[in-house]
Amino acid sequence: MRDGKASRNRIRTGQVDCTWAGLERAVLPRKAAVAADDHTQAILAVNAHLDDPGELLVASVARFDDVIVDELRAAGFSIVRGLGTDEAHVEEPSVEGQADPGCIWLLTSGSTGRPKRVRHSLAGLTTVTAQQPDRTWLCAYSPGSYAWWQVISLGLAHAGTGVVCVEVDELDGWPRLARETGVTAVSGTPTFWRHAIWRDAQEVAAIPLVQATLGGEPVDQALLDSLRRLHPEARVSWIYASSEAGSAIAVHDGMAGFPQAWLDQEIPGRPRLSVINGELVLNSPFASSGNATNFRTGDRVKISGGRVRITGRIGWDEINVGGSKVSAAEVREVLLRHPAVAWAAVRGRRAPIVGQVVVGDVVLSSEADEATLRNWCVRSLADYAVPRRIAILSEIPLNESMKSDV
Amino acid sequence: MAEVLAGQGKTLPEDDLTDLRLIGFRSLDFSELALRVEDEVGVELNFDAPDLRRIGTVGDVLDFLVSLTT
Repeated sequence: MRDGKASRNRIRTGQVDCTWAGLERAVLPRKAAVAADDHTQAILAVNAHLDDPGELLVASVARFDDVIVDELRAAGFSIVRGLGTDEAHVEEPSVEGQADPGCIWLLTSGSTGRPKRVRHSLAGLTTVTAQQPDRTWLCAYSPGSYAWWQVISLGLAHAGTGVVCVEVDELDGWPRLARETGVTAVSGTPTFWRHAIWRDAQEVAAIPLVQATLGGEPVDQALLDSLRRLHPEARVSWIYASSEAGSAIAVHDGMAGFPQAWLDQEIPGRPRLSVINGELVLNSPFASSGNATNFRTGDRVKISGGRVRITGRIGWDEINVGGSKVSAAEVREVLLRHPAVAWAAVRGRRAPIVGQVVVGDVVLSSEADEATLRNWCVRSLADYAVPRRIAILSEIPLNESMKSDV
Repeated sequence: MAEVLAGQGKTLPEDDLTDLRLIGFRSLDFSELALRVEDEVGVELNFDAPDLRRIGTVGDVLDFLVSLTT
């Protein structure tokens, strides 16, 4: 995987800026779960795996709660903390197990319950195989997530592809970091982009981007249009992928959703996309073990105007207002179309008589008040779908995964 | 209650005996009003406790909200 050319690719984190070949060599147990404090430790784990492909799970240390640690140790994993530091520590497994060389495990987000382990390999995670132009990618995904591996695998598979990882404490100033480190391509969640544009759109515009990629959350047209205005020459793409399903959809036309004509097409080596009862269903060659056939994504889709749009998670998206069903994603989109709204979240709130009413939180980029935004919604939404309360927040809420939109 | 009505371009009548149907104050408006009270007092109200069927006038709404907050 890491051939002679790719080993000369640049890898930059908060603590290192060198080639993959120049990284400090770390040694991992044959079956290791690495709790990474930062990108540096995660990259050292990947590098150790390249040198000696054992069985590896790497994730942000925040994911390692007591239950996860117990589960991993019972599955034969050694828990590695502080990799590459003076505080490096290995917690032995509670049950000895044979390592499966080359196996890479990912933790699902746990959005529908406890996080699950899903099985991949570096070859399977390397979904971009066509020759790539020389680029320096900025990676703003959480270490060990599927999207993180997607960017890291680019740097391992393609000569001339550098990767600049943004540490958590660098997130606020990433556009400047991108300029200073020669970044030409950026991949991040919609929340990550929205936050940066809201903070300083001109800083984002000043990055010499040829590629802007969004993934990890539903993507709305307003955000794609913002990126297009800031970077008219760059290719703006959005990716649909998950730990279980792998990389399934890549859209490069600057439009939200994907063409309806893509549904139910059988193309060798490509995922088959289907919609069953309003849910996206995938048959993907990039899926993790056991999830390649008829994988129900749990994501709701809406088909209109020849596009299939992913609106949000089934179960989270529906708000029942006195028996009338409201899609939180649709209300959110209406709010996001208002020129003063930089970010929005919509949910149901417990209320008398009707059970739930629609409420929202917004962050503004220019002057507006609650009444203005409600009147805006009245124009596009049924009465019961109009948010009855809209809180105006001072900051876009961010979490470690850079997902806060849904 | 005046704020909820004002959001729809309506005015709160002075007479507490005014029928809610006459001023177009519907269940969603009542729900919104309850949320405003919750936000104002900073306490989650127990919506299940009182008998909601008795609410037919402006005065009933105000009495109901008082019962929830005391």
